This record gives sequence, structure tokens and C-alpha cells, in this order.
Amino acid sequence: MGRLLKDIFSFEDRPRFERIGFLIFILIVLVFPWIIKSAYGRAVMIKFLLFALFGLGWNLIGGYGGQVDLGQAKNVGFGAYATGLMMLWWNVPFWVTVPVGMIIAAAESFGVAYPMFRLKGHYFAIATLCVALVWKELFVFWDWTGGARGVEIPIRPTPNFTYMQFGSPIYYHYFIFFLFMTQLLFMNWFRKSKLGYECQAVRDNEDVAASLGINVYRTKVIAYTITGGLGGVGGSFMTVYYLYIDPDFVMPLDLSILIAMTVMVGGAGSIWGPVIGAALLIPLDMYLGAWLGAQKRLGIDFMIYAVIMMFIAAREPKGIWGIIERMRKKRA
Amino acid sequence: MRLLEVKHLFKEFGGVVANSDISLEVEEGMTMGLIGPNGAGKTTLFNCIAGYYRPTRGKILFDGKDITGWPSHQVARIGIARTFQGMKTLPNMTVEENVMVGAFCRTKNREVARGEAQEIMELLNLREKAQSLPTELPIAIQRRIELARALATKPKLLMLDEIAAGLNPLEIKEILQTIKRIKEERRLTLFLIEHVMEFIMTISETVIVMAAGRKIAEGPPEKVAREPKVIEAYLGEKYAKG
Repeated sequence: MGRLLKDIFSFEDRPRFERIGFLIFILIVLVFPWIIKSAYGRAVMIKFLLFALFGLGWNLIGGYGGQVDLGQAKNVGFGAYATGLMMLWWNVPFWVTVPVGMIIAAAESFGVAYPMFRLKGHYFAIATLCVALVWKELFVFWDWTGGARGVEIPIRPTPNFTYMQFGSPIYYHYFIFFLFMTQLLFMNWFRKSKLGYECQAVRDNEDVAASLGINVYRTKVIAYTITGGLGGVGGSFMTVYYLYIDPDFVMPLDLSILIAMTVMVGGAGSIWGPVIGAALLIPLDMYLGAWLGAQKRLGIDFMIYAVIMMFIAAREPKGIWGIIERMRKKRA
Repeated sequence: MRLLEVKHLFKEFGGVVANSDISLEVEEGMTMGLIGPNGAGKTTLFNCIAGYYRPTRGKILFDGKDITGWPSHQVARIGIARTFQGMKTLPNMTVEENVMVGAFCRTKNREVARGEAQEIMELLNLREKAQSLPTELPIAIQRRIELARALATKPKLLMLDEIAAGLNPLEIKEILQTIKRIKEERRLTLFLIEHVMEFIMTISETVIVMAAGRKIAEGPPEKVAREPKVIEAYLGEKYAKG
């Protein structure tokens, strides 16, 4: 038990500058809403934390596991709809809907993982993309999910913690930060676990992994299942934060790609990569996109995105974190 | 005691017969060498035993158990470790992590795995390189990493596929010493493929010679080296007669 707690909370094995950086990051996020009063600035911060949360979960299969999954939006959708529909139908408290959403997302991932991992590399990536698209179409088509009109969450008369509805964005800020931290700590445990090592070995070389007693197929299926469950958490948050969900909003292809992209830009397979990637891409999107839109120069932000993406893909496959690590090694 | 037994093994790829009617026995504690010209089917035989290929026909017994057609991770767990021809490291993991992955074969506990890895790195003189990435290191050290990783799975039988290939004479001598030492300390049975003759002839008690998918000779190294069939396989008919 003591060891488990230590594995979750300890960053001792990381170099000192990382730990200091992490501490500064926590402090900034904690005081942020008291310094930044603009509603837009706060919304950007919340979206950043949300995408950092998405990235952390995706990093398990995409970064540590090395399997390019382009369908994480379906799991976001499962989480979002589980929370939305259960609240709408039965008034179920938010904190009950979260594990239900996670279990649904994980169960679905487990089910599709079995046939999907018969495929490798690009073929696997395309399969994940297709599965996510199929689910999105189903949610548009079905009546019981609200179809294309989506689900509207009834507004509660008073702010409350049961349904996580608040008047002020400050609450949502700390709420998403809490979810982000739990997932970060889970990943901190994961990267030190046997499964974490096994995933990395499978990513690096499947033949070697198998020769060391690792069941490659099983490892992939487990990693994909956990990633699915983790994706649901952010979806549940989206439901109570935006109070409205539809398939185009919570499970589109763009979302799947953006999640994968933030992690790859930040640094796949490292604990900080997803956070760095989201810290770069989300403000860029929200500020640059808005500013260029106001200038009637729509689309330029997408070009900038694409250039960043191409630069990372061509020059630094380990993302921004890879650049930082290399610079540090050079100085040492 | 008989540790590994291969009975009438065939492996065909489409029409190509890579292994034809191979039978062999490896006694516990011995060192068995496997030689033969390129394309003789040596690595195919290793891959069949290690579970990478399913044999077309025949049986493989390990420790009295029938392991024919077992997947490679199960073969590893029952106690057969292997290294690969060429270089196969885990490039994005440090040397220590490489070895730890091997140690995780026998434990769930990270500290136990790390302890085991450190012990083996000590044994193979890899301690200073623990935090380096394998791809940054010279070939001779990468070979030791592979050896360490395989050893960490606590095998009974260690199969080495051309562990000395591409090394200079000094490095060959070194790795020969290392292998002899770990064999003693870990009470291993060795089965190795090698092209470097001075290596395999000094270390093996018995040598098997393969050519064109068949086993053509078996015996003590000095005897096998003089057999006309073996000389013929390596140098052609002309030399065998003379």
C-alpha cells in the first residue's frame, strides 16, 4: 500500500528542474483565476486543462504504447453521453455518471480492440478512425440519444456539487484541474508500473518484447482499454461545463486528431508531453484563431498548425519535450 | 538430463523447405553449437524453437513438456531466452530499463526488477552505462545489453544467434569470456549459432552442422571440422575430396 501511494505521488526519479517546473506550473494554475479576470482568458485556461487531460489519457496507448489511435473522440463521446443522458433521464449525480461513462468507454474499447489489433501501424490507425466515425454516425442516427439535436442538460436553480453546476467559471477551473491532476497522478503510477514498461517494450520492438515473455497482443488490448476509460472523464466534464452536447461537438474526427496532435507536438511517451502540447496548441487556437478570424483571415491559423505539425514530424519525432531533453543533455 | 529435444522438425515456407527433418537433443548444462553456411536454416530452427514460427511438422520438447507451436512469450516464460541476429534493442528505453523489461518476466514488483537488473548489469559490466540509450553505444556494448536482457528473464536455456558477428578479435575474446562466466554463475545451458569459427569451436562441447535445411553432421568440434561432408558444404566438393 505504501509503495503504491509512493508510486502515485512521487516524482523523485525525475530530475530536479522538472520537479521545480511542475511545482511552478501547479502554483500558476492555482492562482490563475485570481489574477486573470477576463472570461475569455479563463475559458482558454479551462480548455487547455481539458485537452491536457485528454492528452494524458491518449498518451498511454499513443505515446507509451506507440499505437497511433485516431479515434479517442468516441470515448469522449461515451463519457459525455453517459453523464448527459443519465442526468437527463434519472437525475443521477455527476460523480456516479463518471465511472459509468468510463466503464462504458473501456468496455467498448475492449470489444473493438480484439479485432483491431490484428492490424498494425497505419492500418490500425485507419481502423480506429473508422470505428470512431461509425459511433458518431450512430449517435446522430439514434433517437434515444437525442440524435443530431443532442442533449441539453437541465439547469439547476442553485449551484451544487452533486450535478457540478456553478455560476462562476472559477469552480470549473478547479474542478477540471482536479480531474487533470488525478489523471496525471495515474499516469505517474502507470509509467513506473510493469504494464508501463511492457507497453514501452512493445512500442520499441514487438519481437524483443515477446522474447522477454510479454504477451504483445494482450498488452495492446489492455492499454487500449484503459485509454478508452480515461477518455470518458473529459467527456463527462464537457457535459456539465457546456451544458449541451451533440455528436458533432463531443465526438468529431477533429477532436480525435487534435488530441493525438497535442501529444505528438508536446512529446509522446513522456509524462509532460501532453501538458506542453496542450499549452502550446490550445492558446494558439483560441487566440490566434480568434484574432485572425476578426481580421477576416480565416484559415491562416490552420496553416500555422499544419506547419508546426510538419516541422515536428520531420525534425523532432519526440516533440517539444524531445527538444528540451536534448538541450539538457548537451549542457550536461 | 535432457533439456531440449527437437524431433523430426520440418519448416516450409510455401514451396521452400527451410528445415527438413531436424532432430537434436541438448543436455542440461552443456554448450551446443550450430553452424552452417548462409541460408542453411539455422535461424529458422531457432525461430521455431523460440515460438516465432510454427513448425510445419515435428515436435519440440523442453524440460519434458511439449512446447511445439507455443507463442514466443510463453516460450520465454517457461525458460528459453534468446538474442537476435543483428541488433534488436529497445531504442527509446535506457540500458537499465531494457534489462528491467527482461526482469519483469519473473516479477510484478518494480524494485525487485530493478535489483535484478542491477545485479545483471554488474555481472556484464554495464553499470556505468545504465542511464544511456542503447543506440548511443558501440556494437560490442549493445550485444552485452541484449545478453543482459535475455539473462534477466532467468532462463534455463539461452539461445544466442550470432552474438559475435561484427565484433573485432579483442571484443570476440571478451564476449567469449563473458559468456563462459555467466554460464557458470547462472548454471545455463547454451545453444548458439555462430559464424566466427574460433568462437564456436572453443566454447561448444558438441557442434551441429546444417546445410540446405538439413542436419549433416553432429559431434565434438574437432571431429566435425574434419568431416568431408562439412568441408564440402562450406568449400565445395573439390576441397572435400582432396
